[in-house]
Amino acid sequence: MPEEVIENKDGLKVRKLAELKTTTAKELEDAMLKRVKYFKEQNEKKSGFNSSLQNTFFKAFSSVLDLKINVDKALGEENLKQVHKVIDNILLFGL
Amino acid sequence: MYHLDGTDILDELYYRKTFSVCPECLKRIPAIIEEDDGKIFMRKTCKEHGDFEDILSSSAKYYKWTHYQKKDKNGNVVWQFEKDGEANPPDCAADDRGCPYNCGLCNEHLSTCSLALIDLTNRCNFSCNFCYANIEQAGYWIEPSLEDIDRIMKHFRSKPIPPPAIMFTGGEPTVRKDFPEICKMAKDNGFQEVIVATNGYGFQRKNGGAEWTKRCRDMGLDTLYFQFDGINDATYEKTRGIKGLMKYKMRVIDNCRKAGFDSIVLVATIASGVTDIEIGNIIQFAINNVDIVRGITFQPVSLCGRISAEEMQELRITNADVIKEIEKQTGGKLSMENAWYPLSTITEFGRLIAYLADVEPAEFTCHPDCGFATYLAVDPDSGEMVPIMEYFDPLEVIDFANRFWEKIKHKEKKSIQFFENMLGDFGKTLDEGLNFLDKTQLRARFLLGVLQYMRKPGKLMEMFSRLLMNGDWESVSSFSYGTLLISSMHFQDAYNMDIERTKRCIVHFGVAMPDGTVKELPFCTMNTLHRSDIEKQVAKKITQKVRDEFDTTVGQARQDIELEIMPNGGTKEEEDDTDA
Repeated sequence: MPEEVIENKDGLKVRKLAELKTTTAKELEDAMLKRVKYFKEQNEKKSGFNSSLQNTFFKAFSSVLDLKINVDKALGEENLKQVHKVIDNILLFGL
Repeated sequence: MYHLDGTDILDELYYRKTFSVCPECLKRIPAIIEEDDGKIFMRKTCKEHGDFEDILSSSAKYYKWTHYQKKDKNGNVVWQFEKDGEANPPDCAADDRGCPYNCGLCNEHLSTCSLALIDLTNRCNFSCNFCYANIEQAGYWIEPSLEDIDRIMKHFRSKPIPPPAIMFTGGEPTVRKDFPEICKMAKDNGFQEVIVATNGYGFQRKNGGAEWTKRCRDMGLDTLYFQFDGINDATYEKTRGIKGLMKYKMRVIDNCRKAGFDSIVLVATIASGVTDIEIGNIIQFAINNVDIVRGITFQPVSLCGRISAEEMQELRITNADVIKEIEKQTGGKLSMENAWYPLSTITEFGRLIAYLADVEPAEFTCHPDCGFATYLAVDPDSGEMVPIMEYFDPLEVIDFANRFWEKIKHKEKKSIQFFENMLGDFGKTLDEGLNFLDKTQLRARFLLGVLQYMRKPGKLMEMFSRLLMNGDWESVSSFSYGTLLISSMHFQDAYNMDIERTKRCIVHFGVAMPDGTVKELPFCTMNTLHRSDIEKQVAKKITQKVRDEFDTTVGQARQDIELEIMPNGGTKEEEDDTDA
C-alpha cells in the first residue's frame, strides 16, 4: 500500500486522503485512444466516406474549441453571457 | 451549487406533504418532509403505531438545491430536476388503496423502466445479515426457469419504451450453471447492456475463473456490478461475516484482467460507522485499477433485509452524508458544492441524443432524491482526476439541451413526410434523405450550442463531442474509457419511503407469475412491501438435490464452497497470501 495509508485504532487500513492522482493516467488516455481508434476502423469499414468526413469534422471541432476558449477569456464574463444569448437564439431559430 | 437564474440558495425552510407507509403495519399514511436544524426529515404518524421520524438528507442546503424550480413570469415551471417520465401503458389499474399497493405496474406510475432486474436465484454463497435473499432463512427456493426468464425479458422489451439495460440479481446469480446462456438470451432479446450484480463468486474461481469470465463476456455479459465494501478484510467481516475476503475480491479483479473483461462497477454498501471509513479507499482502488473499473456506486444501506429497526437507525446514512464523506476523504476535490448532480438532470439531454442518433432512449426520470452522480476525468495538465464539470458548465449545457429538445421533440413522434404523400413508396426514400439531412443540421446546431459552454480543450472533449454527434453505444463506450463514474444511490425502506419517489422509480423487477403473466415491480416497493407475497407465489420446495448441491446443474458441491468460505466465516487458506 502507498505510504499515505495509516492504520486506525481498530486495525483498519485507512487512507489519509484519496489524492485522485492516478499513476495510470497515461494508460487511461491510451486505453481511451485505442478504443477510439478501434471504433474509427469499424466505422471506416461501414463507410469510408462518412468516417473521414466525421474525423475531419472532429479535428476542426477541436481547433474551434481551442480558439473559442481563448476568445472567452478575452471577452470577460458579462460580455460572454450576451454572446451566449445571441448564439442560443440563432441556433434555436426556426426549429 | 448555483441556479441558472442567479437565485441564491433559498433561506426559507423546506416543507412538503407526501404519503409514506407505516414501518410497522405498512399501511399508507400521510407524511411531511421538512427542514429542521439544517437537515431534512420525514415525519409521519400511524394511528395504530404512533409517530415516526427519519432523516432524508443531512444537508438541507443541497436538498433544497435539487428541489429548486425556476419559473417564468407567468409562474410556470421552466426548470427543475424533477422530471415527468414517459410512462409505458400500465399493466394493471390502480384500485382505491393507491400507490404503493397496486404494483404490477399500475397507472399511477410516472416513469418507464430504464433498468430491468431479474432475480435469478435466492441461493448465495454468502449470508449477509442485511440481505433479503437467503434460501436458508426463507425456507423456500426461488429460481425462475429459462422459459420464465425469457418471458420476463420479452415483457420488458415489448414495451413502447423498452429498457436498454438488464441486471441479473439474486442471491448470487453466478451460482447458476446456465448463467452464460442467460446472458446470451438477454442479448438475443435486444438488451444493449447486460449486467450482473455479483459478489464475484463465478469470476473468482482459482481454476477456470478467467476462462469462465471470458465465456460470460463472449455470451453477452457487459458489466460486473461488483459488491466491494472496501479494501480491509475487517470491513468484510463486519458486513459479510466472512474472514479474509479481500483475496477473493482480488481474484475477481485479476481474472477479469486476464480475460480482457474491462467493465467493472464497484458497489459499496455504506453503513454509518462500518463502511463509511472505506469511501476514500474505494475511490483510490478504482483509480488504481481504472483499466478495468468503470465506476463506483455507493449505496447507503436500506432496511429491506434481516436487520432490526433500532440497529438500522444507528447505521442510517443518507446520500448527502456519502457526498460529504467523499468530499472529506478527497480533501475537498469532489465537493458537494460543484461535483454532484441528481441522475434526473440528463433526462431531456438523453432523449435528444437518442433521437439525433437513432438509438433507443434511456429514460432517467427517477426522483431527484434517488441518486447523485459525477464523472471524473483525467486532467492532462495535472494527471489528476477531476470532476468532468470542470470541463463545461453543466447547468448551461443541460438548459440548452432542454430548450433544444422542447423545440424539436414533435419530430420524434412524426418524421418528415413531404414526398410520400405525392409519390408513394418512391417518395418514402426521398423523405428518408430529407430526414437524414434534417438530423444532420440538428446535430450540428446542437453541438455548436454545447460548444459555447465548454471550458477546456483536449481529447476528452473530442470524445464528448463524438458522443453528442453519434450517441451510439460505441461512443458511450469510448467516452467511459476516459472517465470514472461515481454515484450514490439510496434505495428506500419503510422508514423513509416517499410515494413521490416510488411513482418515479426507473429500476423495475420482473417476476414470472404462475398464471403466465409477468409482474413488473419498482425496486423499492418490491423489497419493502411485495417481496414476501410475490415469493410465496413463485417459491419451490428446497429439494435434497438443492441442499446437497450448491450449483444444482453443474454439481458444484457445497463442500467445495466451504473450502473457500467456511460457514463460521473463516477461510481455509487465510494464512497463505501468495496463493490467494
